[in-house]
Amino acid sequence: MAERKFSVRHVPGAAPIAIVTFIALYAPIVILIANAFNAGPVIGRWEGFSLRWFASAMQNEAFRNAALNSLIVAMLAALFSTLLAVMAALAITRGRRLKGEGGIFVVLNQPLLVPEIVLAIALMIVLAQIKQATGYHGLAYMIVAHSTFCIPFAFMPIRARLEGMDLTLETAAMDLYAGRFYTFRRVTLPLLAPGILAGFMLAFVVSLDNVVVSSFVKSPGQETLPTYLMGELRRNLSSEIYAISALLLFASVTVVAASWLITRRKP
Amino acid sequence: MLSEAASGEALLRRAETRRRWSLAMPALIVISLFSILPLAVMVVYSFLTPGTYGNVEWQFSLDGWFSVIFERDLFDDTLGLADAHLSILGRSALLALATTALTMVFGLPTAWFIATRPVASRAYWMFLITVPFWTNLLVRTIAIQEVIRADGTINRLLLGLGVIDAPIQMMFTNGAVLLGMTYVYLPLMVLPVYAAIEKFDFRLAEAAYDLHASRFYCLRRVIFPLIRPGVIAGSILVFIPALGAYVTPRLMGGGRAMMWGNLIDLQFGQGRNWPLGAALSVSLTLLVMIALVLSVRRFAGGGRADG
Amino acid sequence: MLEIKSLSKTFGAGVAAYHALRSVDVTVEDGEFFTLLGPSGCGKTTLLRLIAGFEQPTGGQLVLDGQDIAAIPPSRRPVNTVFQSYALFPHMTVAQNVAFGLEARGTPARDVAARVEEVLQLVQMDHLRDRKSAALSGGQQQRVALARALAPRPRILLLDEPLSALDLKLRKEMQAELKRLQREMGLTFIFVTHDQDEALTMSDRIAVMEGGRLQQVAAPRDLYDHPANRFVAGFIGETNLLPGEAGNGQLRLAGLAPAPIAEAGAESGAVTVMIRPEHVVVGQEAANAVHTSGRVDELIFFGTDTHVKLSLPGGGSLTARTQNSLHSGTHLTEGQTVPLSLPYEALRILPDEAAHAV
Repeated sequence: MAERKFSVRHVPGAAPIAIVTFIALYAPIVILIANAFNAGPVIGRWEGFSLRWFASAMQNEAFRNAALNSLIVAMLAALFSTLLAVMAALAITRGRRLKGEGGIFVVLNQPLLVPEIVLAIALMIVLAQIKQATGYHGLAYMIVAHSTFCIPFAFMPIRARLEGMDLTLETAAMDLYAGRFYTFRRVTLPLLAPGILAGFMLAFVVSLDNVVVSSFVKSPGQETLPTYLMGELRRNLSSEIYAISALLLFASVTVVAASWLITRRKP
Repeated sequence: MLSEAASGEALLRRAETRRRWSLAMPALIVISLFSILPLAVMVVYSFLTPGTYGNVEWQFSLDGWFSVIFERDLFDDTLGLADAHLSILGRSALLALATTALTMVFGLPTAWFIATRPVASRAYWMFLITVPFWTNLLVRTIAIQEVIRADGTINRLLLGLGVIDAPIQMMFTNGAVLLGMTYVYLPLMVLPVYAAIEKFDFRLAEAAYDLHASRFYCLRRVIFPLIRPGVIAGSILVFIPALGAYVTPRLMGGGRAMMWGNLIDLQFGQGRNWPLGAALSVSLTLLVMIALVLSVRRFAGGGRADG
Repeated sequence: MLEIKSLSKTFGAGVAAYHALRSVDVTVEDGEFFTLLGPSGCGKTTLLRLIAGFEQPTGGQLVLDGQDIAAIPPSRRPVNTVFQSYALFPHMTVAQNVAFGLEARGTPARDVAARVEEVLQLVQMDHLRDRKSAALSGGQQQRVALARALAPRPRILLLDEPLSALDLKLRKEMQAELKRLQREMGLTFIFVTHDQDEALTMSDRIAVMEGGRLQQVAAPRDLYDHPANRFVAGFIGETNLLPGEAGNGQLRLAGLAPAPIAEAGAESGAVTVMIRPEHVVVGQEAANAVHTSGRVDELIFFGTDTHVKLSLPGGGSLTARTQNSLHSGTHLTEGQTVPLSLPYEALRILPDEAAHAV
């Protein structure tokens, strides 16, 4: 690169601030991960590399239960919200402008417009009534709640994909003797697949990461990983907490990296 | 013949419309039941009387809304401003604004830096921004907390170097909450601003320089007006969750540097004043929506003014 | 045989109604290369989409081999379309694209494979059968789109400006190729274009459209030599339009000697007279022609010929076209005044436009 040449893209100071920002963004994460792998019992005093805190977490039944709950909730919530989002996105993007389309749009994004703590407590109030009436205290409440606020996240990439899709492809399929269902199965769905996958993964991560709604909707004794972490944090800070945090981090990064790779691949 | 064909087409179109509405319906119903309805219940609760052990009694009362702003003195029953609440609400607004400003200070240059990298490497830089965005907010708060807590990285470092003799108390202050929120919400600023800068046609900047604009003049008159929609979008994305933040102020601010969200939580918990909590919730939601509508309107207006 | 009977299409209603097609009547014969020609917005694409079934007519009938097909959805109509954007399925290979229509109709796999092979050979794309369609050049995509539409053996092939995305050289090649395929297969093609050269070189018959109406349906030569009205005369080729008066078998151009022309008929009154630039004789007084003179305003060199812009003594202007042969007799210079001849047989009387004005 020609260093001293005039460039319209060069703004003095932008690069140093950007580098500082990237370092500030990643340093705490690196420190946290390092603490998770520390062999010593004292946080911050490095005594060598070890997996002992991961091992101790694995032996912790409360952690295992929370992890299992998190996976079940995230999996099902992502599944439901993606299904609903696909249907809604198809309704909005295929064909002429629908009367009331703006309204559908607002409702679909409504969970994003409400502060999370408000949604969490409001859901707690309503679901408490149902819990009392039915006597059921299982995971279903959490799954329903997560499915709801995951819909806008799943909806985004799916709609984007559908809007970028040429409508004449479906017209062409009809012209070639394909019925509505055959067209959907052979043309729309395969082209939409990367969007659906991305939507599913984002919904999965959003559900996996949620702490506020989970802590208010959960029944007593029920924990997800984030609510478990929150509870443990209140008691005392331990290297095990960092190990669990690191695990959550890896899980999210894996899912996000996968979805990033998928959406980057052009059809 | 003519009207027959026309009405046939109208029928077809009506069937199509019905089919599409029924496709959208399940999502609309789920959101209505589990997001809109609870919010409506919250509105109703804000007009009821607090129960003795939490919950509400079904008796109309404006006390919930009243006590958002005023409080009755315990002894002489005179009215005064609810200083405790108001200072928390004021702090929330100030901290959210300060967070937005700080994310701008760091986010705009970062977005500019990424958008001016060669096309091939941009995606990788953006990946570095999106990873924290999608990783657990709680985990990221724990990470930044580790840096500044009493036994944390900075204090250990300074103690080790002999700069200080006793750990500096950084946690549970406004500054800690501000730092935490800036750290956590920064990607939300970078994403839309980057998108705006990437779309910017740099030939326009060349034209400005060709017309004798200085670097600053070009930035102010050409570049900034054109990327402003992105900056406004980023500000909304940061300000709104920051105003209603719950997890980060709770961990970084504790009971001392509470924010609006924590105050709401308090009313539904130890405070046992659900109507007040509901009124605080509804007012926070309204504020967020007003902020959203105003900025969207300004955003649209700005776009028109810029052509 | 496709009979289009007073077909019309209106979008919207009331004041906002847009009449894309106003009562079109025409019959397309079997094995014909039939072209719909007109400027954008003339209704030609709407007509094609009605035939394909993507739009429902607001009035009239579409009769294919004696059966009204207006109510048949596109997925069951025995016509296939080559789309302007090709609309190849990006997630499928060339062969899968071509097989799509056959499979959608439930053709047995063995027959599908054979037919795909056959059609791909026909368009010379068999060597790329496993390529993803997104990885093809424009010309190759064009061939695949054609193969895909031909594979299910449609009764009529509809082509919606299929060549407009290709560069000039490739377009000329594909024009010849399409014409060859059409002749070999004896298949009916309905071809939409706004390019008059394309229409003239390829078609058996051309329907010129404007404002949602058919202006004239004729073979290319007839269309050129005997345009039905001013619009067709102006749209097909270049033309000179001169004011005149007709009556008693005589045509009188303003300020010039009368010409005996049978077309002039008995009715008398103001008419518009057309003469093609290449029919104007420059530099000599030919026999059986109206004689006048013109001042050379501008000479524009076009390679095979030169366009000569002339102004007439009466104040009008005229364009002539002279061949640049090896031994061109006259050398024209700008500013010079030259004798002109307008041969009687080159003069065409166009009907009074006032009656047709929209």
